[in-house]
Amino acid sequence: MGLLFSRLFSSLFGNKEARILVLGLDNAGKTTILYRLQMGEVVSTIPTIGFNVETVQYNNIKFQVWDLGGQTSIRPYWRCYFPNTQAIIYVVDSSDTDRLAIAKEEFHAILEEEELKGAVVLIFANKQDLPGALDDAAVTESLELHKIKNRQWAIFKTSATKGEGLFEGLDWLSNTLKSGGG
Amino acid sequence: MSGHDSKYFSTTKKGEIPELKEELNSQYKDKRKDAVKKVIAAMTVGKDVSSLFTDVVNCMQTENLELKKLVYLYLINYAKSQPDLAILAVNTFVKDSQDPNPLIRALAVRTMGCIRVDKITEYLCDPLQRCLKDDDPYVRKTAAICVAKLYDINAELVEDRGFLDSLKDLISDNNPMVVANAVAALAEIQENSTRPIFEITSNTLSKLLTALNECTEWGQVFILDALSRYKAEDAREAENIVERVTPRLQHANCAVVLSAVKMILQQMELITSTDVVRNLCKKMAPPLVTLLSAEPEIQYVALRNINLIVQKRPTILAHEIKVFFCKYNDPIYVKMEKLEIMIKLASDRNIDQVLLEFKEYATEVDVDFVRKAVRAIGRCAIKLERAAERCISVLLELIKIKVNYVVQEAIIVIKDIFRRYPNTYESIIATLCESLDTLDEPEAKASMIWIIGEYAERIDNADELLEGFLESFPEEPAQVQLQLLTAAVKLFLKKPTEGPQQMIQAVLNNATVETDNPDLRDRAYIYWRLLSTDPEAAKDVVLAEKPVISDDSNQLDPTLLDELLANIATLSSVYHKPPEAFVTRLKTTSLKTEDDYSEAGYSESPAHAAESSASPPSSSSNVPDAASRQPDQPLATAASPVPDLIGDLIGLDNSNSLVPVDQPAAASPSLPVLLPASTGQGLQISAQLVRRDGQIFYSLLFENGSPLLLDGFMIQFNKNTFGLAAVGPLQVPPLQPGTSAATLLPMILFKNVAPGPPNSLLQVAVKNNQQPVWYFNDKISLHVFFTEDGRMERATFLETWKSLPDSNEVLKDYPGLVINSVESTLDKLAASNMFFIAKRKNANQEVLYLSAKIPQGIPFLTELTAALGIPSVKCAVKTPSPELAPLFFEAMESLLKS
Repeated sequence: MGLLFSRLFSSLFGNKEARILVLGLDNAGKTTILYRLQMGEVVSTIPTIGFNVETVQYNNIKFQVWDLGGQTSIRPYWRCYFPNTQAIIYVVDSSDTDRLAIAKEEFHAILEEEELKGAVVLIFANKQDLPGALDDAAVTESLELHKIKNRQWAIFKTSATKGEGLFEGLDWLSNTLKSGGG
Repeated sequence: MSGHDSKYFSTTKKGEIPELKEELNSQYKDKRKDAVKKVIAAMTVGKDVSSLFTDVVNCMQTENLELKKLVYLYLINYAKSQPDLAILAVNTFVKDSQDPNPLIRALAVRTMGCIRVDKITEYLCDPLQRCLKDDDPYVRKTAAICVAKLYDINAELVEDRGFLDSLKDLISDNNPMVVANAVAALAEIQENSTRPIFEITSNTLSKLLTALNECTEWGQVFILDALSRYKAEDAREAENIVERVTPRLQHANCAVVLSAVKMILQQMELITSTDVVRNLCKKMAPPLVTLLSAEPEIQYVALRNINLIVQKRPTILAHEIKVFFCKYNDPIYVKMEKLEIMIKLASDRNIDQVLLEFKEYATEVDVDFVRKAVRAIGRCAIKLERAAERCISVLLELIKIKVNYVVQEAIIVIKDIFRRYPNTYESIIATLCESLDTLDEPEAKASMIWIIGEYAERIDNADELLEGFLESFPEEPAQVQLQLLTAAVKLFLKKPTEGPQQMIQAVLNNATVETDNPDLRDRAYIYWRLLSTDPEAAKDVVLAEKPVISDDSNQLDPTLLDELLANIATLSSVYHKPPEAFVTRLKTTSLKTEDDYSEAGYSESPAHAAESSASPPSSSSNVPDAASRQPDQPLATAASPVPDLIGDLIGLDNSNSLVPVDQPAAASPSLPVLLPASTGQGLQISAQLVRRDGQIFYSLLFENGSPLLLDGFMIQFNKNTFGLAAVGPLQVPPLQPGTSAATLLPMILFKNVAPGPPNSLLQVAVKNNQQPVWYFNDKISLHVFFTEDGRMERATFLETWKSLPDSNEVLKDYPGLVINSVESTLDKLAASNMFFIAKRKNANQEVLYLSAKIPQGIPFLTELTAALGIPSVKCAVKTPSPELAPLFFEAMESLLKS
């Protein structure tokens, strides 16, 4: 009973930190998105060997955002971060059509994880500014998002460098979390 | 709060680790910080908290400097035990190395240098490169030290990334602290490298001299040490350098003073002008004297160093002997050292004063000190001819006080004085004889007996005196027995009368028939034969004139002295031993490997032996090395071309014949030859997989029978069933023609696994800079993978056996093999981590059950059946991976055969 109460309270007053993982293949734009969300500017990044963690305040919700490196060598360690996660932002490089299949596999492997059963999923079809980028429908198709069951999810077209679509996604996320989706 | 109250209802008995884990993941910063503190506390008392690795690392990105430092501390401690997870910290390090706060930048780069995990090392390079060019001097100096650390982990990487050049650039830095640390780092790197890396040029020289005046005291020590290795071009330059450094002699820090003295002594070698030298000597005396007013421990260090300096340049302290007089409250170790230096400084001019001191010391209470004082008088007598008489009269006075140990010590030194000045002071023999009965120490007794024998013709009752000693002949120590024998012979030769004749009979009898001591017996037989064949010849031999002795005890060999002087102000100059004698340098694979080598009783890795021609080998801890240490050096260099020549002359291609003569280290003679010299253009490679302390190594022996110097060795393994791959680069020194080098290459499993059915093939490629790439095949013997934890309980064994389907059982007959003894077979197998479970008898056959395990937890349950002493062994093995059975049988065969 107490637990339920506190959740209600915290979501009303917005002092709860939601733990969010930003995942995706390497070079998808995870770190850029993180710092675009946090500082509102584009920073130059190098491949993340390990993780970045920042707190982002949005819509009265504090997000503790964990951006994990996407290299093949680091992907096995993603699971260390799964416990207590409310939401996953899965970032896809929409212009990297060659690796969409891998992105799909990794994505569905994450969905299988027991520890992430309750997490909502937000997909960013990133790099829309690049020529040849697939749109959200095409990404939905290639990631086979229609197979997702028993979970709230949404996909947004984004461009981290231009700052488009990110906050729309975050809006969705905060609303979903507030309404108890997390 | 309400949300957390619920936890009081659930059970709290979770154990410390899960609790800490929960706290580390708390959403509250304070709680996380407290948790990290708890983890560090647990770590420092020795609890294993490595399982919290990711949780702690996740706390790393924080603004809180204190928390950050704690996490760094944790990382330094546990990164090695979690090498894979350590990679998660890399990004934070990279970020921190770009933090606006220079303290954090420096902290990050310093910590990265302390994490000795290969996977991380390469990521360290970029931040390090940036930090070496940082705006903040503190960051630059930390980065400089980090380069030295990195060099120790991966020398090749440092050279490839040009860090050495960056370091050299830092010598020209405008901040003296950075200069000093760059010098320290370069010096350290130079010590671990055989190639010249750090050489001071005239350009850097002036930079160093400028920085010297501005940097901290310890920085000064580094710079002075580096300068002392600089070879000045001519006397003028040396004079200039010395002039710039002389003010350092006034420094309050003893280390700075000693380093300055060292540096000046080194440069003085080049200075020809006697005036300048005399002047310098005058300048060095006061600082050295000042060192003796410090605490006793520092005094001791100073005295040990002064001992060396005095041997090289006695003039420096010639007029300062008074400061070496012992104070009553000096600790004994200081007194002993002071005595030693007093003897070295004693001269005709000050001997009276010195003797007065010695005499006083000889009446003190500390027995060891008194003895040393008495001995010192004797050594002065031997050293200073004109003062000998005065010394002897002091000794006689001391004998008269009849303190037992004084008398004994006096007699020992008087014996030496007699040898130094024969036929001069015999008048005192009578006095000595008075104390005859009090002698109870072997050395004193032996000395007295020697005196009696030597001067038998002048001592009327010599035969009686000797007779007294002879009564207890069988009980005497060997030293005394030998002297008695010689003295009796001398007496007989000098006074061939009846008494001595009987005596000599008795002595020779005692010393031949009755003794077990071969030295004594041999000497007795020689005398006996001499006496019985030609008494005149015996006289010539036994009574021959002896060479005059001089006091060279405690004098060091000049080359050693020079080496020690170059190491003044280090442990080496305190021990009076060259650094190689007590420090093991790590120039081969890794610390662990080197330890393994010496433990196994191998000669200190042949790689060193090969170096010995160029530089003195390190560590004399093991015998073969000690043997190769001094006289062998030129020999080794001379010997190396020999096999080469033979090869050329006879046109032998096969260097099998070229047994490496100069190698004390044909370390592993049993290594199978995989690349014969005939295919390898003279290069022969022998190798085998071995297991040591739970780790797999590839033991390699390279023998260079080609006429070329071979260097730049590299190795590569093809994909194989077990994914065997080298952990680090191959560490083989450049190979001169005719030399060889062995190395242990640490290996890991499952790195480059070849698909397909298992086989034992291991394809190896070796290259060097001079020859084409050589390919050869090795066979993987499964038993090197048997892990130390392969032992099973009987019940587990039975259970596992039953749980496996019969299709997993494979049988093999070894008709040719024979087991002679169960115990020795079991020992042999246990040595390879095949563990004995049980045995039973079946008719006349022994049935043995054994277990073994390979990585990834694959067990092998084995049943061996054989009749003792009769050829034919049956082997049945049950394992979840029956496809490995053929490999297992091969391993078993080789184990049983060995």
